Parts: sequence; C-alpha cells; structure tokens
Amino acid sequence: MAAPSSSLKSQDPWVQLVEECFRREAGASEPIPNETVDLIQAGILDSMAWVGFLRSVETASGVSDLGGALNDQPASLAAVLSALRDSKGRASPNSDAITEDVRISSGRLTVITGSSLALGSKVVPSEEVDRAFGMPSGKLRHRAGIESLAYAAEGESELTLGARAAEEALRGASCGAHELDWIIATSETHHNYPSLAAQLHSRLLVRENCGALDVGGACLGLLNALAAANALIGSGSARKIVVVTADVHSRTLTPGRVAGEFGGLFGDGATAFLLHAANGGESNFGYRLGEFLFGCAGQYAAAIQVSDDLEGGLAVQFDGDALSRAAIARLEKIISALELRSGIPRGEVGYFATHQPNPRLLTLLAKQSGVSPEAFSPICRTSGNLGSSMCAAALHSALQSASQLLVGERKPIFLASLGPGLLFGGSWLTPT
Amino acid sequence: MTKLLITEITRMGPALCVIGLQREKETIQSVRPVPSSANGWMYFPHERGEVLECSLVPFPAVKPHVEDRVSTQGFRKAAVIPETEIVTWLRKAEISSSLSGLFGCAVHENKKGSGLNVMPGEAQRSICGCDTQNIRLELCANELRATLVLSSGEVLRDLPVVDHNWRGFVEKALGPERGANRLGRLERFLNSQFHYKILSCPHHFIRLGLTRPYHDVCWLMLDTLFPLPKPEWLEEF
Repeated sequence: MAAPSSSLKSQDPWVQLVEECFRREAGASEPIPNETVDLIQAGILDSMAWVGFLRSVETASGVSDLGGALNDQPASLAAVLSALRDSKGRASPNSDAITEDVRISSGRLTVITGSSLALGSKVVPSEEVDRAFGMPSGKLRHRAGIESLAYAAEGESELTLGARAAEEALRGASCGAHELDWIIATSETHHNYPSLAAQLHSRLLVRENCGALDVGGACLGLLNALAAANALIGSGSARKIVVVTADVHSRTLTPGRVAGEFGGLFGDGATAFLLHAANGGESNFGYRLGEFLFGCAGQYAAAIQVSDDLEGGLAVQFDGDALSRAAIARLEKIISALELRSGIPRGEVGYFATHQPNPRLLTLLAKQSGVSPEAFSPICRTSGNLGSSMCAAALHSALQSASQLLVGERKPIFLASLGPGLLFGGSWLTPT
Repeated sequence: MTKLLITEITRMGPALCVIGLQREKETIQSVRPVPSSANGWMYFPHERGEVLECSLVPFPAVKPHVEDRVSTQGFRKAAVIPETEIVTWLRKAEISSSLSGLFGCAVHENKKGSGLNVMPGEAQRSICGCDTQNIRLELCANELRATLVLSSGEVLRDLPVVDHNWRGFVEKALGPERGANRLGRLERFLNSQFHYKILSCPHHFIRLGLTRPYHDVCWLMLDTLFPLPKPEWLEEF
C-alpha cells in the first residue's frame, strides 16, 4: 500500500485523515466527493465499504464508536467530520502539533534513553534443533529461514538474562538503579512466584518503594509494558521506569512436549529499556514515545492456543499457515494505522521494530508493506523467535543503529507486534 | 415435486433471498430457490417455517453458491412448523464450530476496513450454521451489524445482518410512530434485553451466508438469527 498521499490540499488534519481513509476504501483514483454527498445513495460506497471506511477512521483517529455517533446521519464525509470534531476533546487527529498539544496538556511525554539486549549465550545451529525435534535436517533453515538459535546456557534464566539487560541499559544511560520508580516486566515463559518483576526488584537492588509490575500479552508484552510505563509517566506518578522482557523457551518448548514445527522456532533472550519523563531539554540520545493502538482480532484465536494439559505437558494448537497469513495481514494493517495516526509515511520511517515470527515472514512483511527489507533488523535469523523479547530485540537494534547517526539523520521508528488471541498493538517513536 | 422447509429469508437492497432445507436421501441440505432470471425475489409471499411444495431444477451454479436451484413453478404451502422445529432441522444441515469449517476454506479479513470474506473459487458452499458463545447487534451509521464469537473462540466482526425479520424489527423500532428518542431506545434494547433474550433461548442458532462475488470476493453476512424477533418486544423499549 502506498504511503499517505502528500498531495492532500487541506491543512485540517481531520480532513486529511478522513480523505486518506476514504481513498484507501474507495481506491486511490476515486475523486474526493463533495462533503455533503451521501456516499451510499450516490453509489460511491456500498454499505459494506461505508462501514469499512468508518472502522478505518476509528482506528486512525483513536475515536471509538464513530458508527454509533453517525446513526440518524447521512453517509457523508461532512457527517463523519462533524462527529470527529465533536469528539475532539477525547482524541487527537494525526497532526504532530495537535497530538503534542493534547499530550502536553494532559501529561508528560516519555523518552527512551537506554536499551540493551541479552541473548541466551548458547548458539545452536538450526540443523541441530531439527534433529532434536526429529525433523529433517535443514527444515528450519529452508522453511523458516532460521540459521541458528540462541539458547539459555546452564545458569541462565529469565531472571539472569533480564537482570543483565536491565543493568546494561541503566549503565548505558548513566542511570542508577536507585533512581527507578517502577520495574515493569513481561515474559511468556516465566510463570513462577515471586514474579519476574519482583525478582528483578530484588536482583537490581532498587529502592523498596520502587513498584514492580508484571504484564502479559506474550509476544505483545513489550507494547503492553511500554504503554503501562507511558501511562505512569504521563500521569506524573513516575519519572524513571525500566521495562524488561525475558523469555527462555528452550526449557518449556522441548522435544517430546511440542512439535518441532512450533517449538523449534523459539530462542531465548531478554531486553531492557529505560524510560523517563521528558524534561524538554534532552541533551543525550533519546526517542520519544508516540501514541499506542491496541486491539484483538479474535477471528484468529484458534490459530495458536497453548495450555497446560492434565499430564503436566503442553497442549499446543498451532495452525502455522493460518497464523502466518494472519500475522502478515495484521502487521501490515498496524503499519497502515500507524501511518495515519502518526502522520508519518512509511517511506520516512527509519526502522520497523516488529514481531518476527521467523525470517521468511519478515521478508514477506517487508515486501507486502512496500518498504525496504533493510528497515527490518532480522534478529530472529540467528536467535529464533524470542517471544515477548522479539519485538523488543528489534527495537533495541533500531535504537542502536540510530545512535550511530547524526542527530538530524535519525528517523522515526514504528513498533508493531502480535500475541495469541490475536492480540495486536503498535506505536511509534520519534527522535528527540 | 420437492418439499422445501423455508428456513431463512434475507434481504439485501430491494430483493429477497430465500433458503430452505430439503432431504436428500439421509442428509438434510440447504437449497436456494431462485427465479429463472435473477438471484433473488422481488416478492415472496411465504414465511419461515412453511413447508412448500415446489419444482426445482439443479443447474451448474457458480461456486460458492452451489445451493442454487431454479424454481420452475409456483410454491404451494403444504404445512407450517414452529420456530423451535426449524432450528432442530437446521442443526442437521450444514454446521461448523470453527471459522475454517464454515465454508470449507480460509476466511480472510478485510485488509482495508471491516468485515470478512472468502475467495469464491475456494469456498465449498455459501451457507452454514454455527453455534455461538456470544453475539452483539449494533447500528453502525445506520447499518445493522453483528459481531459474534463461535464456539471455537474465533470472533467474527461487523457482519451485515440481512435477516429479513430482524431488519424489519429494527425498521419498526425506528418508525416515526414509535415516538421520541427511538434510536437511543433501540440501542439500549440491543445492549440489554436483546442479549438476554437471544442467549438464554434454548433454540438460539445462527446461519451465516456469503454474498455473490463482489470485487472478486464473497463477504460473510449473518443470514439468520434465531430466535426471531417478536412484535411484543417492541413494547418493552
């Protein structure tokens, strides 16, 4: 899909947003009709496309239940614009200026100033994993594009990997552990108590009154954790937060417990990000968090389901083909929504830190999205799918690459991820 | 002569689409009688639950509307069965508990907006029943839409509701003779009593259908929602 048109004449961000959504539904060549024309009566959109168009505007604007506000109204662009303007107090359009005004008036902005990645230190060639799972040698390499997997070595765990990543992120940002107000952790493999956040709290020796919060979402965990951190900072109840992801799949998704086509895809690793309230005069490297969008595409709920069975094993329902199709389609949809919500065309994005189910799908996503594969850092090729740490590892890689550039050369980063359900979420970061 | 139990009457635009069940040896299968020159009926004087005697001629229908049969004579009412019995028969016809089983093919989401569709060449049929865990009806910008969750846990959003009875019920609820604040009252009904009435009904059942190919795909729609709306419900809101 093409980037948002740059030929839009109107300076009104609401009009730009509505026109862009209309073009996406009706086709790029369809002229923008007069605002008062009833699109259904005029035969410009059928009822299916009209609802599709409204849902697209809802996603792009962040205004929920636009359809409800338009009952008893004509199916016109004017009615849509009027409903959007009525809800202006509740959401912001895709204008950086207005977005920032609203956010500044309602709370503080959040900046990521440090990040780190700690992969499992045992590098295992994918052929070895093929054999362990009883699959033909070369299957993971040729079918999924995975060359090797990062597995936790003896003595490594979610806690040790997460703590290592957190300490490095803090050190890189010259931030002491005692300065933290919250630790927010997410993991799809750590199910013990004390929870991962609680254990990290002790391991990092933060202040006793530093909060410890665990969030779920599996592969969407990073987005959930960042959103929670952003809210805490935005509300003024926290200034510095470390977000930690940590996953050790190699001890859970083992041969005999799950099929190799599923279990063989996953590796082990952890990441950490230091977030703090922007003070308006950042002199160091940093990326400012944008808005978030979340949802759940429940029509794909059956594509992946994991639960404990009665014998203490894992019951895995995994329809790889269906999940692959859904993942690509949904990630592309998130990217489109982020473009509209942020006002940043995908062509101007420096890096796409997305979930990476496997390298083959990442290549496909780049192709479907019409962006250069180089904008995706294929961490999963040598580490495997890292679960909640996957999108996080890609974000760390993007931040690392950006840090090598001059300030003026740094470009925005799009975040997009998925979790079973099919949960989805996205956000964007812009350089400070 | 064929005996056909009329199980659904749907409405899209001005035309009505009629679907019924017929027994074919040991199986109960859906059949869509169509006039010789169109896909739908501008006038159909019968109701759901009527058993009609008719003459239907199979023809090489284009997938996925393999249930189409040309009606060569008029319909003659032979009997009427109650709503609960219609559902009993529908449960013996095409049914699926999962998304992929509905039409025997992959179901795709609309990449641009809402709704779900299938590729016409892939779908094995154009009508299927299903059990649901939950359902919600809403008016979205004057369009009646349904969101439901199948027993598999899969969610189908923004399905156009084409059930003739339900559309008629909503139209009556919004009729000017209903007084003030009609829309708000209908929305409250759909968000409250509706839910209880539908989900607590022992013969709650849904049939989903596919549109004719449009822009190369067939869209999913909610053809039938049992229980059917009762006129006295209009007095409740």
